[in-house]
Amino acid sequence: MKVNEALKVIDEGWLRKPKGFRVHFQKQVDSEWVIEYAPGEKEKALDSDVVAWRLAWKLSEAAKPDKTEIKEDDLINIYVVDDLGNPIKHYASNQFEILNHREIES
Amino acid sequence: METQFEKYKELGDMIQSHGQDFIIALIILVGGLIIIKHLNRLLKHILERFTLKPQMIHTVNNIICIILLFLIVAVALEHLGMATIIIRRVLFLISLAVIGIIAVFRPLIPTLPFKVGDTIKVENLLGKVEATTIIHTRMKTFDGKTVFIPNTKILNDFVINYHFTNTRRIKIDVGIRYDQDILKVKQILEALMVEDPRVKAKPRPVVYVLNLAKGCVDLGGRCWVNNAKYWTTRCDLIEKTKLRFNQEGIIMAFPQLEVHHYHGDTSPGFSGEGNHMSGLEVK
Repeated sequence: MKVNEALKVIDEGWLRKPKGFRVHFQKQVDSEWVIEYAPGEKEKALDSDVVAWRLAWKLSEAAKPDKTEIKEDDLINIYVVDDLGNPIKHYASNQFEILNHREIES
Repeated sequence: METQFEKYKELGDMIQSHGQDFIIALIILVGGLIIIKHLNRLLKHILERFTLKPQMIHTVNNIICIILLFLIVAVALEHLGMATIIIRRVLFLISLAVIGIIAVFRPLIPTLPFKVGDTIKVENLLGKVEATTIIHTRMKTFDGKTVFIPNTKILNDFVINYHFTNTRRIKIDVGIRYDQDILKVKQILEALMVEDPRVKAKPRPVVYVLNLAKGCVDLGGRCWVNNAKYWTTRCDLIEKTKLRFNQEGIIMAFPQLEVHHYHGDTSPGFSGEGNHMSGLEVK
């Protein structure tokens, strides 16, 4: 196998380089739960997971629901996803984290 | 008194007969200059789409603008009623001379090694170029200071232009303790660089063991990014390195001194002249 071919195998199999990151969250609109992203799906994604997680944290602090009741403006189940929509691990803990985690009826 | 009156009357007659022509010629000139200014910008945008050197774009732009300027002047003068053939010949010769000077001698004229908008470093000053004149260059530092640097200083000194090339290399240098797993550290550092979307795939990110220093093993991660993303990517990678090391249990080295204090009979024998420090061994 040539070196170039070997490198190609490594690039495809070892670590995937995401093309961008978005913050995934859920909010209540007209009594229905909708999934939204920041930046939006039609906008350009963030190129840094550090920035994405920082944005996620700020959103979680700003729109934190009360202990019992969730209002219209509250954002729940906040985490960062890659360009394929897959959740990514938090860069600090290397674990999957969900901010403002709530179980909701689908 | 009468002669003055006659002069005023003559002036009045001249304005009456030629005033309208003067005004129209002035309008043609001013309007033409405004059109040239807008055309200059438009032309620059069009030429930038072709992969020409910035100097070439500037030269072609200047030549076209000079030709247009002389045409406008010729039209204005023609409207004033001056002999058009002579004007056209003279202007044609002047424009040829100017074009020739620009085209032939421009490459020989010392130019500044950057353009407006570039980030440069001159001596200890780092900032973005806002404007250049014949005498000085105006630069704004990243903490908001505006600095005026004489062009002679720039031409006689080293200048780093961070925009001259599209990419730049990031260095992530870490020092780990000797009892840490070097291979694990190399894998983590390389994975951090490879996973980042801003890091270029070619040249590939690499991690080197740089040195077996006093108290630590020095490793260096090297990767390439686009100029515009250099600073934020570097800071993010450093942050992620430290946090990932914490999470993986890798201990980074810091300057330290080991002092072994021996008591009484357990102290090793010290040799060497002039050694008055009995009972202490410092590493």
